[in-house]
Parts: sequence; C-alpha cells; structure tokens
Amino acid sequence: MKQKPRVAIFDFADCEGCELEIADLEEEILSLLEIVDIVSFREVMKEHSDSYDIAIVEGSIMRPMDEKRLRDIRSKAKILVALGACATIGGVNKIRNQWMHDEVVRAVYGDAPVQRNELFNVSKTKAINEVVPVDYYIHGCPIDRDEFKHVITALALGKKPEIPRYPVCVECKKNENICQFELGAYCLGPITRAGCKAICPTHNSPCEGCRGLIKKAETECVWQVLERYNLSYEDIRRRCTMYNYGNEECQVDE
Amino acid sequence: MNQIKTISKKDLNNFINKLILDKNYEVVGVKSKSKRYVFDILEDASELCLDHDVTIIPPKKYFLPQYEKLMEYNLEKQFEVKPNIEIKPRIIIGIHPYDVIALEQMDKVYLDSQKDDFYKKRRENTLLIASDIQNVSDRSFAASMHTNTTDKGFDLLLTDIEDKYTVTIGSEKGKNLLEKYAKTENAKEVDIKNIDKTRKKTLNKYKKKVNLPKEDWPSVLVANYDSGVWEERSDKCIECSSCTMVCPTCYCYDVKDEVSLNLKTGSRIRTWDGCLLRDFTKIGSGEFFREERKERYRHRFFRKGNYLPARYGFVACVGCGRCGIACLPDIADPSDVMSSLAHHRKSDDTARFFIKQETKVAETNTIHIPRKATIKRIEKLTDAEKLFEIELDDKKPLGHKPGQFVEVSIFGIGEAPFGLTSSPSDSPTFEIAVRKVGNVTSKLHEMSVGDKIGIRGPLGNGFDIEKLENKNLLLTSGGIGIYPMRSLINYVLDKKNRKKFKQIIILYGAKRPKEILFLNEMEEWKKCDDTTCKLTVDRCEQGECWSGDIGLITTLFPKIRVDKLDSKNTIAVVVGPPIMYKFVIKSLQTMGIPDENIFVSLERRMKCGVGKCGHCQINGIYVCKEGPVFNYKEIKALPEAFE
Repeated sequence: MKQKPRVAIFDFADCEGCELEIADLEEEILSLLEIVDIVSFREVMKEHSDSYDIAIVEGSIMRPMDEKRLRDIRSKAKILVALGACATIGGVNKIRNQWMHDEVVRAVYGDAPVQRNELFNVSKTKAINEVVPVDYYIHGCPIDRDEFKHVITALALGKKPEIPRYPVCVECKKNENICQFELGAYCLGPITRAGCKAICPTHNSPCEGCRGLIKKAETECVWQVLERYNLSYEDIRRRCTMYNYGNEECQVDE
Repeated sequence: MNQIKTISKKDLNNFINKLILDKNYEVVGVKSKSKRYVFDILEDASELCLDHDVTIIPPKKYFLPQYEKLMEYNLEKQFEVKPNIEIKPRIIIGIHPYDVIALEQMDKVYLDSQKDDFYKKRRENTLLIASDIQNVSDRSFAASMHTNTTDKGFDLLLTDIEDKYTVTIGSEKGKNLLEKYAKTENAKEVDIKNIDKTRKKTLNKYKKKVNLPKEDWPSVLVANYDSGVWEERSDKCIECSSCTMVCPTCYCYDVKDEVSLNLKTGSRIRTWDGCLLRDFTKIGSGEFFREERKERYRHRFFRKGNYLPARYGFVACVGCGRCGIACLPDIADPSDVMSSLAHHRKSDDTARFFIKQETKVAETNTIHIPRKATIKRIEKLTDAEKLFEIELDDKKPLGHKPGQFVEVSIFGIGEAPFGLTSSPSDSPTFEIAVRKVGNVTSKLHEMSVGDKIGIRGPLGNGFDIEKLENKNLLLTSGGIGIYPMRSLINYVLDKKNRKKFKQIIILYGAKRPKEILFLNEMEEWKKCDDTTCKLTVDRCEQGECWSGDIGLITTLFPKIRVDKLDSKNTIAVVVGPPIMYKFVIKSLQTMGIPDENIFVSLERRMKCGVGKCGHCQINGIYVCKEGPVFNYKEIKALPEAFE
C-alpha cells in the first residue's frame, strides 16, 4: 500500500472551533487515521513533526510573526488547506479592520505597555491566501464536518475536491425552508457560497455569509432585492461586516 | 367516467389513520410549516391540511429526491457495485391537480425510450391521493394553464363538498385501498353537482392569469428568442436557481461520488441541479456554455415553453406559482414573462430549436449503473494523452458506431464521457483516448493494465455510415477531435469497407508538433488507395522538429485538389474544439459543399448520457441523445450550437 500522507494541523488567530470539529469526529477519527498520519495537531496531541505533506491551517494572520510562521509552513507542505472562515476569508477577525490597529490595541489593552512586545504587534487581519498561496479551502464558521471529510478523502484519492460555487439558496430550497426574506428577516444566503447544507436558515437564523461571498453586495441585482424588501445598503453592509469586512467576492475557480 | 364515492369527514380521518397504521406504507401528506405548507410524514390524520394553497416544494422530491443514493460500491474490491433501488411503498395525500399533471409530464421525460429505473420504481410504489384545490396561492395561475383540475393521474381524488368529501376513484389500486380501509357510500347526483360547485368557487379565487394561451407559448417564444426582454429581466437575476429548485417540472440533476472517511466504501449520489447556475454547463476542459446570465435565464423559459413542447407536446409549466414566490427579485414568474410577450408576433416554425432523431441505443440494464470492464492496454500518445484499450468483463463486443461515446466510471472519483476512438469491430475490446484535464482523466492516467473501470454505453448517435457511402469524404479534425474521427477513418479505410466510399481526404490540425496524435497511423492512412492526408500545426516553437505545414486548419483547404472533388458528391465531417467550426464550415461552403453534406460532432457536458440530467442541452436537443453527431443543416438553426 502507498504510504499514508502526513498531515499537520496548525492554528493562528481563531477560536479553534474548526479544529474542534475535526476532534469531534469521535470514532470516525479512527477512520481518518486509516488514510492519513496526523503528525501535528496541537489541540489534541503533544507530538509534533516538521515533516508533513498536507498542512491544514486554521485562523487569520494578524502579526508579522504569524506571516513568518505561515510562510515556513507553506515551504514545508506540498498541499496547503485553509480551514474555516478565519483562514479562508479572514472571518470575524476582519471586523477590526474597520479601525486603525493602535485604536484597537488601546481599546482592548488600555494603557498597558504593549507597544514593544512582539506578541502585540498586530496589523491588518489577513486571510491566509493574502500571505501564501492556498491549494484548497474548507469554508465555514465552523466548518461542516462532511465537507471536511469530502476534502480529506478527495486529497487521499488524488482528486480535486468539489466545493460549490452556487449560493446557499440552492441547499436552503432543497431543505424546504421558508425564505428568511418571506419571514421578514433578511439573509446573505443569495450571495454566499453553499456547502453548509443551509444550516442557519434551516434553523431559522439568517445566513451571515461565513463561507464567503460569491457575489458582491454592491451588485445591482442585490440592490434591487434590497429595495423590494425595504432594506438599505447599510443593512446588508452591516451584515457582511460579520465575516466579510473588506472582502471582494471569492474567485470562480477556487 | 370515474367512479365517485362519498365519505364523511370523520370517516376520512379514520381512513387516513388506518393508512398510517398500515406498516406496509409510509404515509405522507400536506402539513403546515409556519406560514407555508410542506409534504411530510403524517403521524396522525389531524396533521393533514387539505385547504392548503401550495407547498414550498412540489412532491417531485418523492420521485427524484433532493439527494438520492443511486448505488453503493466497495472500494476495496476492484469493482463491486450494488444499485440502491429498494424503495418502500408510499402514499401521498393532498397533492393538487397541477402537481399531478406535473408528475404525468415527468413520466414522459423519465420513462421514455431510456427509462430511469429509480424513478420508475418510486412511481410504481407510490399511491397518489390527490385533493381538489380549495385555497389558491396569490401567485398561482393554474386556471390559465388548465391544470387547476384533473380527471386522471391520481389513484384517489378528494373534493371537499362542505359537509363531506367526495372520493373520485382513479385506479384499481386506489379502489382497493378505499375498499379495504374506508367507509364510503356511492355519490348521489347532488354530490357530483357539488364537486363542480366547489371547483367553480375555487376558480373565482385566482388573482393571477396569463394573457397568452399556453398553446401559443411555443410560437411566441420562437419569434422572441432575441427579444430584449431576456436581458432586461435577467439583469435583476441573482443566479440562485431557487426558481428551478421549487419547480415541479424542473428535473435536472447532477451526480457525485462520496466515499467513507476510511476510503473503504462509497456511493454515487444524484442531487438537484439548476440551469440558472453558471457551473451547470462547465465541461472538463473548463469551458462554459450559455455563459451569459441572460442566456441561462432565457433557457429556463424556452425549456418550459418551447423545447419540451416540441419534444413531448406539452407546455412544461403547470402554473403552481412556486417560482414566483421563491424568486427574490420577482423575475421568474412565467405568467408575467409570457403575458409581457402576449402582443408580440408568433412564428409558424415552433419546433425550430428541436431536431427529432431516433436514438438507436441498446437497452441498458439500469440507468446509471455501469458495466464492469478491464483496462487491457495503455499507450502513451503525448505527455498529456494516453490511449486505453478496454474490454467489457462479459466479453461482449461494445457494438458501437463511429461517433458514439461511453461514460467511464472510476468509483470514488466520478464519471466522464469519452468519444470512442476505435472503429467498430467484432473484437471484444474498444479504445478511448484521454487527455488529462480533470479528476476522472487524471485518475485514468494513473491506472495500470488490469485495473477495473465501469462503462456505460455505447451512447448517443454516431455517424450515419449509409449517408457516407458512394461519396467523397472530406474528414477534418482539430486537436483531440481526431479521437472520434480516428474511429471513422479506420472504419472507412478498412479493406472490407473501402470500396463503399470514393476519394478520401483527411485534414488534421494540432496546436504544436508535440501534440500531434496518431502520426504513425497517418502514415498508414496515406498509403491507402485514393486517400490524401494533410497535417498542419498552429505554431512551431524554436527547437521543435517540424518540416510540415504551419498554419490554422483552414490553410489546408486551398492545398487540396478541389478539381478532383465533386462538391455535391462530397460529405464533409468536422470534429474539433468549439472555436474551429465557424471557420472550417465557411471554408467548406466556399468549396461549394452544401450544408446538408456537412456533419459535425459537438462537445457539451454529457453527464447522464440518456437525455435526462439536462447539462448537455443545446436549445431543444440533448447532445448525449440526439448527438453528439449532427447534420450541419439541421443543427445550424440552433443558436446555441456554435455560440
């Protein structure tokens, strides 16, 4: 049998929830270990190796020291996979890109003397593809476990994972949900990448766009819809801020 | 005339509760979900709503589920596949007449020449207890479509006549069910009159109507193919395909492989797809068709109002109004679109976008289930291309014609179409050539002799050899168009067949010298009687060894001896990349070859291969079924063919 690919899982600025989704595979972890060797996974094991084929990277990039570490990971990995919204699109960490970073530091740490400390040397939040090339993406906040399995099995079989390039509405309709717009709420589903099985609208919560926008909120057709439902551009902008502050729409052939 | 019974409201409740208790069936019915309605499992008769206006999605989900496991396979064994076709009998209660009619239409599509066994089994195992409409959705225009009532297509039909229900018996199965579980009486004349009264009362509740009779949809659409209305309306389209998801007459689907995390087992899943989505037409090499939003938007209306009517004789819109509710910018409602075209001109040629062709495909075992085959020989053609000789494990010859194709399956990876590149023979093996571009092709390139793959086919319409007989043949191919052309060339040059054809001219263009395929065979072809073979490359870079012609394929035409060619007695065959056709066909026309003497083979995303999934559609035709080989005179009338 072919040697199993060696997988290392790393995290940057994030809540580690996506790693937890992997840990939460529970007995299926054993199946995962049948097809890959996990050589580094700080959240669940103490061993670490610098020799790996696939690096799965969670979290956004905030500091020069993070960029350096990420470049080092990239140089060691044959395949780099971005895990979760913080890594794929910057996610909630990008909310603070609305302000200057010294304002942010002051708001959080007050007058504490952190200026000279490398750990606090934060700049604009970046998704990992703003620092290094990314081969594959596992979107979402948190990720969908089935999609994680799909990507991992695809890589193990040597095939390109199939990640949808259509909006959440497709999956939402298949789930027979009443449209959030019809219920008087509004939702980023029509402009957000599917693949989450429309989990939020299915549980009666509007889509917040955590899997990235596939159409800009500024697009004429989106405005037309907002107008029809008496919503303003400010409404949709505010909602996009949660995960997609400053983001362009995702590329077609990601 | 249907037999009609009456049942009291209490007895109807009892009847339904008895059905629910019968463990042979799963009983589903219309239930309320917040402000709307859905079809869902009934646990008690009290949950059933018969006064609903419309459900969020139609009952098509019970016949073509949102996600359906078609087969399961074992990846540890080289080829072990099991169709997943066990389907539990089901009773659907509360289905409205327009949805019954939509299902009858779906039967035409799914149970035509190539039956969908999964659909068929579901249909056979399902009883429909329909109900007449009492409340009308604001967006429904079923009355304009004459789909608000029906006298067939159901097993039983319930009509609320104030103090009780009438039950119209539509089938033997329905009758038996009623006799087994329900206390009914024969309907009296007054009861039957009351059915009409109920229906008339409902008729007055329609707010929406279409100002264009449905009989006129096909002719008005044809005349307005280039109307500005498509662009104007589609400018607002957010491309979510909600309109197709909720539509009872949209049946397009995609097929995907999913494997278990330990890579031991897997399954092939079919799921709804939508023609409004950009990736719908994307093929392996990365090309899109109907790339503009307005083209995709127009396609949906033409499919309903022109393409399916031309093929089956019915307008594939039943006026349920679901798309009108689901569409956020409110541009999807056919009643609005068709009404806006009501005063436009009509065309006499309503079937202009359709080509009727008999598909001579052998009955397959089960649609989508591949046959086991073995790779017998692999030959490297170029850095990116390999030739595979394949044998079906039942040792039967494939029985194909030049121009036909097969679907090749690799479990866990997927399925992709390949034109057959060997000529028909009695040999149990056949050949395909594969350029490495996507998942299936890359995996094939990694495989070895002896490996097992799945084969479906031969599929589609190949070259009509009889039309080629006693004619000069001008065979032009570009790039990997030589793959299917080789099948035809080797057939006509075969000693057994050669005398049936006159002069043969073979023209072939590749991008670069290193991409030329079958160069050795070309030398053999040249040696045949009365056969000319010319070759060109688009460009030749420094250091590449090439002493032949350089230039596009069209530069070869002046170099062939036209005087020898009697153009009316010449058949031209063209196979190449989409860009090539326009230019080559112009050259052929300059030479005086009539359009009906030109045959082309077109490439589209052929997924199901049996005219169901919708991906390969060019206007009203399915490339996988009516093609991939077409007569140019017929196909040129289809604007999407050479877009």
